[in-house]
Amino acid sequence: MNNSDSHSAGVSELSPANIPAVPKTASPKAAALKARLGRILAASGVKSADRDDGPSHFTLGVDRIDAALRGNAGIDGLPCAALHEMHAADKSDRTSAAALALLLAQRCRALQPAHGPILWVSDNGEARRQGRLYPPGLAELGVEPSSLVHVDAPNSIAALRAAADGVRSPAMGAVIIELSGKKPRGLDLTATRRLSLSAQKSGVLCLLLRTGSDAENPLPTAAFSRWQVGPAPSVALAGNAPGYPAFDISLLRHRSGLYGLSARLEWNRDDQVFREQQEQDTPQSGTGPVLAAVRTDHPGTRAA
Amino acid sequence: MVIMAADRQAVALGLGPGMKLADARARVPDLLTFDHDSLADANLLSRLAEACERYTPMVAVEPPDALILDISGAAHFHASEEALAQDAEDRLDAVGHGISWALAGTPDAALALARHGLKEGAEAQLPVAALAMDDKIHQALERAGLYRIGDLAERPRANLAARFGMQLTVRLDRILGLEDRPIDPLRRIGNIVTERRFAEPLTHIDAALACLSELFAEAAERLNERGQGARMIRMLLFRCDGDIARLGLETGAPTRDAALFQRLLRERIAALNDALNPGFGYDLIRLSIAAAEPLAPQQLRLAGGEDRQGDEVALVSQLSTRLGRERVQKFVAADSHIPEQGLLALPALNAPAPVAWQMQRCGEPPVRPLHMFDPPQRVQVIAEVPDGPPHRFTWRRKTHQVIRYEGPERIASEWWQRKDGQQPGNGGLTRDYYRVEDARGRRYWLFRHGLYGEEKANPDWYVHGLFA
Repeated sequence: MNNSDSHSAGVSELSPANIPAVPKTASPKAAALKARLGRILAASGVKSADRDDGPSHFTLGVDRIDAALRGNAGIDGLPCAALHEMHAADKSDRTSAAALALLLAQRCRALQPAHGPILWVSDNGEARRQGRLYPPGLAELGVEPSSLVHVDAPNSIAALRAAADGVRSPAMGAVIIELSGKKPRGLDLTATRRLSLSAQKSGVLCLLLRTGSDAENPLPTAAFSRWQVGPAPSVALAGNAPGYPAFDISLLRHRSGLYGLSARLEWNRDDQVFREQQEQDTPQSGTGPVLAAVRTDHPGTRAA
Repeated sequence: MVIMAADRQAVALGLGPGMKLADARARVPDLLTFDHDSLADANLLSRLAEACERYTPMVAVEPPDALILDISGAAHFHASEEALAQDAEDRLDAVGHGISWALAGTPDAALALARHGLKEGAEAQLPVAALAMDDKIHQALERAGLYRIGDLAERPRANLAARFGMQLTVRLDRILGLEDRPIDPLRRIGNIVTERRFAEPLTHIDAALACLSELFAEAAERLNERGQGARMIRMLLFRCDGDIARLGLETGAPTRDAALFQRLLRERIAALNDALNPGFGYDLIRLSIAAAEPLAPQQLRLAGGEDRQGDEVALVSQLSTRLGRERVQKFVAADSHIPEQGLLALPALNAPAPVAWQMQRCGEPPVRPLHMFDPPQRVQVIAEVPDGPPHRFTWRRKTHQVIRYEGPERIASEWWQRKDGQQPGNGGLTRDYYRVEDARGRRYWLFRHGLYGEEKANPDWYVHGLFA
């Protein structure tokens, strides 16, 4: 925000139209109720109105999915100031999950006025075995590699701590924390709630990227939404060349009780937008794009 | 075998360095001997040098057995320079080291005096051996009737130089104080040093940390006068029993922010392998700014908005302090077309200013993977023709059927990096890269290492990366 902006804001506040008819100090009860409402709204993903740096939600760019994610907040897409979980469908699908997390972070920070950097925190072991981030590949996906700060934490506890510090800092555009294994040490309800609350406070998107997690019985977390991500056969280009990056995503959990949402997405690097895959010509993959019935207010899916 | 060093008792029995072991055993049959450990000696000497930093920041090690302290302007905490030297002797004596010391105007004079047990002003009485030249030269000098430095001092330099070489006249001048020599201190001293001395040693960590914060505030004031901010901060805590705790901090950008300093200091202390132990207390705490960079005074924003740039730097500094600077990285493009050499992961603390990566609209899918294996992982490939695209490959004991492929993208080796690389066959193997997709939709970056038939009879295949 520059000086002229703040100046004009100050003037408008003093203009007669904005002077409240009732003095603010009149009703402490109203203030308490307002604060309580703010807390409830924050918990359900609606950002409080007193911060005005960018919109409160980011979209994937696919209307069907964005509308389906509306939930209780009534705004398309996913809230920026929240923790979301990305689970790799299989141990070997880490790259797909990582790419999706990266691209969501990119979509979110593109909305911010300051385009803060992405803090990528990974615990040590997996990077050695499963390959490390390759900056030219980031650039090929449309994410500027120099906007990434990579933290190679020695273990999962240090990684969670570093991520918590990152989420607390409003300078960050997004924080991605990558943890592998069925039950990483330190990852529990408390740790994720801490991340989630910090994200709500600072407005920084936090993505928890999990590989090798137990799909049947995932760890309880305080995440706003949980997604399962796997690769999908791409639409071939001319000469049977592999096409655009394609993902199979499905929503496992959402705080508004949505479930059953799944889609096959393609990433368009040039427009920085997802789109639904149009044609399907590989019978081996089995599952086509599922146009899911979305139900809300399902009581069973509210529990973490 | 020769005696390198002897303790006080052995010296009293007439044994000493330079004596043959057999001779010594003949005189004292039950002599206890140990192998000489020059490394341990050097370590001890450098530890003593660090301990002597309490007197002056300019301490140089003079192997094998000496330390040079530049105490110009450093004796104001003691009654005189002699008192300072006496204090050093007492402290070292307390931990079992007998020393001989001398004060002089130049380091060589002081060294020569101390090694021959003389005091300041007695340079002329030094034996010619104090020149530390070849033994033959010492003998030749003595044969010529020149036994003392004083005898040489009166001689014309030109004659001495003609007979014994320039080296001798240089050393002579240095001992006589006619020529100075810079010493090479253990550590480069920061340009801003603040310190506190305590009559009553501090026995609590909290008090020591509070003191460090005060010292930093003092240093920050001086930095402010110069328009600078600290990038590297060194702290020394001298325990009264001679032990020294050393702490270093680095920041991602120049700073004068006391709150940031305190946060980093706490991180630093929490990350220490062996926790700070004040023992009997710290009697001297020193903080120096080892590296500073220009930092213009900043104006706070009118609207009270947060300082995003500053916040990012603070976070990077904090994480680097906690986890180590190598673990917090930024990516920088490197000038190489070999895929695994085309990037550098530099510590984010002092990464260069970001250069925009090459990204243009092209409407093509990515041709570089998101994850890379370094080194590449070996795969077994079945191809329809030996120099054709892969048909099926086995990686980590799983077989993948190739449904789509694109390639080859041929990447030649950097033959100019190799000896005789311009000669045919010496330039290293060429790689043929293929982008392939298997039945489940996973996309891989495979390459054949070596051109079939030309460079290698049966080229190996590797997987180098994974696409999104």
